[in-house]
Amino acid sequence: MAGRGGSGSGMVEGARWRKWVYFNVPMTVFIVGTLFPFYWMFVTAFRPDGELYRPWRAINNTPFWTTHPTFEHMVYLFKQTMFGTWMYNTMLIALASTVISLFCGLLAGYALARLRFPFAGSMGTGIFVTYLVPPTLLFIPLANIIRDFRLGDTPWSLILTYPTFLIPFCTWLLMGYFKTIPKELEECARIDGASRIRAMVQIVFPIATPGILSAGIFAFTLSWNEFLYALVFLSSPQQKTVPVGVLSELIRGDVFFWGPLMAGALLGSVPVALIYSFFVEHYVAGLTGAVKG
Amino acid sequence: MAAKRMNRRQFVKLAGAAAAVGGAGVEAILAARRAPAYAQGAKLHITRWVDFVPAGDEVLAKQMVEAGKALGATITLERINANDLQPRITAAVSSGSGPDIFHLLHNWCYLYETSLVDVTDVAEGLGKAQGGFYQPVQDATKVGKAYRAVPHAIVGGQIAYRKSLFAEVGAKEFPKTWQEYREVGKKLKAKGFPIGQTAGHTFGDAPGFWYPYMWSWGGKEVEKDGKTVAISSKETIESVKFAVAMWKDACDEGGLAWDDSSNNRAFLSGTISATLNGASIYIESLRNPDKYKTDKGEQMRTDILHAANPAGPKGQFHYHASFHHGIMGYSKNQKLAKDFLKWLHAKENFEPWFLSMKGFSVGATKMWEEHAMWKEDPVMLPFRTAARAFQLFGHAGPPSAKASEAYSKYIIVDMYAKAIQGASAEDAVKWAESELKRIYG
Amino acid sequence: MAQRGPRSIAGGAGGAAEATSRLTARPRAAVRTTSIGAALENERVLGLLLLAPTLTLLALFIAYPFVMGVWISLTSASVGNVGTFVGLKNFVKLFGDTIFQRAAYNTFVYTAIATVAKLALGMWLAILLNRHFRAKRLVRASMLLPFIIPTVLSTLAWKWMFDPTFSVLNWTLYHAGFIQTRIGWLTDPTMALMSVIIVNVWRGMPFYAISLLAGLQTVSPELHEAAAIDGANAWQRFWRITWPLVLPVTMVVTLFSVIQTFADFQLVYALTGGGPANSTHLFATYAYQIGIVTGLLGEGAAASLAMFPMLFVIVIVQLWYIRRVEGA
Repeated sequence: MAGRGGSGSGMVEGARWRKWVYFNVPMTVFIVGTLFPFYWMFVTAFRPDGELYRPWRAINNTPFWTTHPTFEHMVYLFKQTMFGTWMYNTMLIALASTVISLFCGLLAGYALARLRFPFAGSMGTGIFVTYLVPPTLLFIPLANIIRDFRLGDTPWSLILTYPTFLIPFCTWLLMGYFKTIPKELEECARIDGASRIRAMVQIVFPIATPGILSAGIFAFTLSWNEFLYALVFLSSPQQKTVPVGVLSELIRGDVFFWGPLMAGALLGSVPVALIYSFFVEHYVAGLTGAVKG
Repeated sequence: MAAKRMNRRQFVKLAGAAAAVGGAGVEAILAARRAPAYAQGAKLHITRWVDFVPAGDEVLAKQMVEAGKALGATITLERINANDLQPRITAAVSSGSGPDIFHLLHNWCYLYETSLVDVTDVAEGLGKAQGGFYQPVQDATKVGKAYRAVPHAIVGGQIAYRKSLFAEVGAKEFPKTWQEYREVGKKLKAKGFPIGQTAGHTFGDAPGFWYPYMWSWGGKEVEKDGKTVAISSKETIESVKFAVAMWKDACDEGGLAWDDSSNNRAFLSGTISATLNGASIYIESLRNPDKYKTDKGEQMRTDILHAANPAGPKGQFHYHASFHHGIMGYSKNQKLAKDFLKWLHAKENFEPWFLSMKGFSVGATKMWEEHAMWKEDPVMLPFRTAARAFQLFGHAGPPSAKASEAYSKYIIVDMYAKAIQGASAEDAVKWAESELKRIYG
Repeated sequence: MAQRGPRSIAGGAGGAAEATSRLTARPRAAVRTTSIGAALENERVLGLLLLAPTLTLLALFIAYPFVMGVWISLTSASVGNVGTFVGLKNFVKLFGDTIFQRAAYNTFVYTAIATVAKLALGMWLAILLNRHFRAKRLVRASMLLPFIIPTVLSTLAWKWMFDPTFSVLNWTLYHAGFIQTRIGWLTDPTMALMSVIIVNVWRGMPFYAISLLAGLQTVSPELHEAAAIDGANAWQRFWRITWPLVLPVTMVVTLFSVIQTFADFQLVYALTGGGPANSTHLFATYAYQIGIVTGLLGEGAAASLAMFPMLFVIVIVQLWYIRRVEGA
């Protein structure tokens, strides 16, 4: 285990000292460094407006706690903006994009990892290269295509465009996973009379479940957080996603509604955080499988 | 109430129209009577910014319903962040579909000229009925011979300042020149209440301050021909030198990182004593009088006054943001859109909105200076005539697309920011000159 | 579709081949020998078929717009005007533009420093998370929060944490005695770039950490124990054993991250808008500024494209390195 003194120090005090220095302290620093913004956002979301504008050196400035917590920002968020609708929209779009990306990534990953066919190498590279194309270049021509397909201001404009940056990563991840699965398993099944497709679906895919979960969670997160396409392709307030909606409704010119903004930011992360907390072990296991290959 | 009046008006107009076509036959009469009712289910989509003053948006929301009834159509108002207007417009124009009417700012009529419908008839009618437009507003919306948008309102910028703090350092009246402003500011900064101004990349306050500042010293971007870059001049260099000195003496040095909202926050929390802004600071303090208190414990709103920009050697200048409504060329409801704009900008419908804004936005036409609303709050009085004196960027040439390019690249703002950060005045100006030459070709 | 024939699984490769050929020779009652069925058995056909959905989506929504984007960059297109073909004029104008040069410099510095920081910190955190301790699951999940929260919103929070007037960071450092006057997080040009990097590292490090953790879990502890017995200390064990074994996954994660960081837009857009005085402009934000705010679509497309060849080179180098590592 990394961190334990390797020179075989037998002194109990030495080992404990080492544990503190090499583990506890760095771990604490990481946790604090990573999470204090969230704590601060949490406090701000419940801080009454009167306390929000205190200059940093003001005597009564208490950035890390408040003596008068209030729910008014949460209420504002749900009553005065269409936050509930945005959550629903974002959830729908993220789920649908994830399903599509997983579907494409599974098939593509399997094909690239297992099958031999002409131009496999270049197609694999081609899929990867599309990841390099920056969205700031694409979104204007894409607006034309969206219009031609009459998808403007519908969730489909995002559901079909998000996979473009999700598929390459899902494909890579699942490719790596498939490579670790012994070919003999499939060959046995085929000898038994199963077709290729059946072998693929019934044998290989179930084994790759952790990888599928990983890819799915990753895809879901990226869809949830996307901003530029959502801004440009959606217009009605009922269609907006959480990042776009929160930004447009809670920033009025030069007045920021910090309380509801922070509340929106936190609540906007809850669904994804919940999913992660249930699946994080699977997520790690999934990546483990992929990187073994 | 307003809706009823409108309908009677329409009826009278119709009767007149019917009478006018009297001899043309039954069909013509029927057609005239059917005029305001568009094809069943006609829809209009307008996109505006999210207003600084929420009360204005509430009035508009109600008016959408009224207008819909009056015109026989469904009218949707979409509000987005001001910064997000341009990407939406670009995407809509590129893809040929989207909102019928867009809220346009500054000189966007020049940028999007080919995509906007000629609305000269609507605009001229409006101007005549309401005492004429302010000249800069006309310059901003009239490209060549055609109005590309109908002017709606102007957000005036004035310097909001703390009456008591200024009095404490001996300034009973607001400073009239930059020198005086710097002196007063120096004393205030020593007391811990500097002046606050942004020099960062933000679309409203930064150009709103630095362009007029430059003009007041005699600096300009191009000559009248709109082609010769004229920024490198003794006057400009003088202005840069003074700006650096004033910044160090009197300004909150955090201003380099400020966006449009930072000075509001700083002022309301009492850390700065003066800043150029729209009236949003004061109006916010009115909306929440107990939230914002001075360090002496009084309500902030009692300590705020507004004043015009100090003058430089070559005069006193302002830059105000003018707002217009433009009809997009791809719209399938152009007639409906024009009628809607006529309705919205008409005196009786503009008035409730104007009142809700409490002077934050003023009318684009001169008659609104005389409105009784101005008598209500003396603190807002400077905004009444603010719109009389301003000019547009690209001075002394026209506010063309090239001027927009310079504006959106923050060349003038960065010229001052660079000097503040340590570049010599000559170098900063030379940099600006080379950038402008690249733009103006 | 296929019915299982008698299980005659022969052991060994040769046996399997024999069995397979016996199978295909024998007409299987339930296997449809339609052309579709046969075609799907064909490796080549199946392969292409499986790739079809992906290729269609990508062709439609990336390849085609990309080509259009390239075309636009070669014209003088602006909003509402198709413009005329001008060849490489946009690129020439861009390369002479001092703001663009600054943006290029910023992007490279930003990507380089952020990537190294994320890699180092991510690796360190992954090593720490690899141990067993109480609340391991909770900590692992919570470490991912910066990655989970929508970028735009967390960046706004950071913006306020950096605000010259209200910064909670300044408050903390001041009360801890580290500073007397405020730090100009976003006012000083160098500091502003550092601040942007800090936010990027905060946001991206968890991704590195979790991915590297996965890699670490494939390293068998016995290797470490054996090395410890041989007398290697922790640092040596890391460099000689852990690092080479996780290098493949490190390289791939780094690759994806470099691409994203190089093309980053949201973070700088929300935090500084490219200021103060262009000290934080990146390719993507500058391209956006020219294309959308100024309406010069041709030049904006050119600026977006300008990052593509550099990105391509970086990617090729990394891929070559990965192949070399995997081969070794």
